[in-house]
Amino acid sequence: MAWHLSVFVMNEPGKLEKITRVISAAGLNLRAVSMASTGEFGVVRVLVNDPDRGLEALKESGFTAAKRKILVAQIDDTPGAMHGLLVELTAARINVEDCYGFVIEEGKRAAIVFEVEKFPEAEKAIAGTGIHLISDAEIYRL
Amino acid sequence: MYWDRDIETMERSALQRLQCERLAATLERAARAPYYRRLLEKTGVADVREPGDISRLPFTTKAELRNEFPYGFLAVPLTDVVRLHSSSGTTGNPTVIYHTKADIIAWQDLVARCMYMAGMRSSDVFQNIMGYGLFTGGLGFHYGAEKLGAMTIPVGPGNSKRQIWFMREFKTTAMHILPSYAMRLATHVKEMGLDPRTDLSVRMAFVGAEPHTEETRRRIEETWNIRAFNSYGLSEMCGPGVAFECPEQSGMHIWEDSFLAEIVEPDTGAPVPDGECGELVLTTLTRTGTPLLRYRTRDLTRIIPGPCPCGRTHRRIDRIRGRSDDMMIINGVNIFPLQVEQTLMRIPGIGSNYLIEIHEENFMDRLHVSVEMAADSFQGTLSQLEGLQSRVLAALRDETGVTPVVKLLEAGSLPAAEGKAVRVVDRRAQSGKGC
Repeated sequence: MAWHLSVFVMNEPGKLEKITRVISAAGLNLRAVSMASTGEFGVVRVLVNDPDRGLEALKESGFTAAKRKILVAQIDDTPGAMHGLLVELTAARINVEDCYGFVIEEGKRAAIVFEVEKFPEAEKAIAGTGIHLISDAEIYRL
Repeated sequence: MYWDRDIETMERSALQRLQCERLAATLERAARAPYYRRLLEKTGVADVREPGDISRLPFTTKAELRNEFPYGFLAVPLTDVVRLHSSSGTTGNPTVIYHTKADIIAWQDLVARCMYMAGMRSSDVFQNIMGYGLFTGGLGFHYGAEKLGAMTIPVGPGNSKRQIWFMREFKTTAMHILPSYAMRLATHVKEMGLDPRTDLSVRMAFVGAEPHTEETRRRIEETWNIRAFNSYGLSEMCGPGVAFECPEQSGMHIWEDSFLAEIVEPDTGAPVPDGECGELVLTTLTRTGTPLLRYRTRDLTRIIPGPCPCGRTHRRIDRIRGRSDDMMIINGVNIFPLQVEQTLMRIPGIGSNYLIEIHEENFMDRLHVSVEMAADSFQGTLSQLEGLQSRVLAALRDETGVTPVVKLLEAGSLPAAEGKAVRVVDRRAQSGKGC
């Protein structure tokens, strides 16, 4: 099971910078960041190479943070690949709650991180599709 | 079970006779203070046959205490005074109370009586997490605990790491703490990787100095796995030791051998019947240095009718509902800060820190409530935060009748208070109701 971190932030200048400072001071590798906001406050997702240590570091610095389960799919870094992934997910009736992506190797491989509603069911459903899920160890090694 | 069985379980009729005797003596003593001498000459000393006769005397308010600074209420030669306690006096003259040696001894005994009633014994280790100095909360409990015979750690407020160090090293079993700090300190305990419920020896807490709700008390008890007892006092009387909860935790016994309590309608001063809410008015019955007659405490409460199962005959006052002068008027609607607290503490996922601000927007009052979420209830989704915020808004609107602006904050983001927490800030240009 892979995890990313979810951090509650009020919309104030310097908030994101404080998160990256904590992550970097903890010697962790920041793989990807995404943010969702209502205007007043938001939630920042952070993918790091050691989520437990990252969570501990953020909490010690006073952040309100939580760990959340994710699935990470590997797609080709080519036009239409993301659409192909979503077609598969739709066919498997999987509802995506949160999603962001990053390139692993330019022109070759990209990763799509997503949170889904029902975990064990979703994982099983994906096993029957053509989607290639990246293993936890490999995610944290990226 | 009783610190002073004869006094605590005295028949009501005997207690009233004692009050009468002591009231007559108090009037005599008070007449030696310049302010009361002038007043009593003007109004004539009341013929006191029963405690109810006191209503013929005028009230004393904080304004008189200030105007008569420094010695207008002093009823003994200054050489007989051994200590003074004073308000900070940042706005105008401070209010100063002078204590004789007898006053200090009586005060110690009252606080010891309170702590013993709640269950503290000489075998307890007592950590006093209250400010020492002019503030009566620290010294009042300090001497009470020593009188009771418990080992007392006079650590004072703040410095959470040191508090926790003392708790662990000396196996503290009882503490005296502000309710807001009790919740904050528990967070620090958890941050150190300890569980306040199981990794410490604390079994009871005395909480007071800030009005707080039953919901807050239950949260403190739950968080620490202790019993928390509500303490009531004010520096104009002696400080802590005026009224206190017994193990029933159902109202605070007001020590009627030492204080004569009335409940009045705040606007008219007319007495209200037992059971109905009004302003607590107190007369000291034993004090010699600064006797006070019919002092308006501004604290709103009620007498809880009926006897207490604990066997004590002294009547109980209810948890303080607010102060008659901290009522907020938002576009004509009366709201007490404690109503807001009570509402917030009932919502799961909401932390214990909040701030109420009143703004003026387009010539209308607007209630702003900022509240921290509880760090360990965060599940990591935006929808949880949005849901929480709208639940807070709906609950406050239902309780108060006005629609507030609710701001959900990260845990620990409101400024930490060393002393009493500032909960209300009135930002209106011409605020008639600064709290």
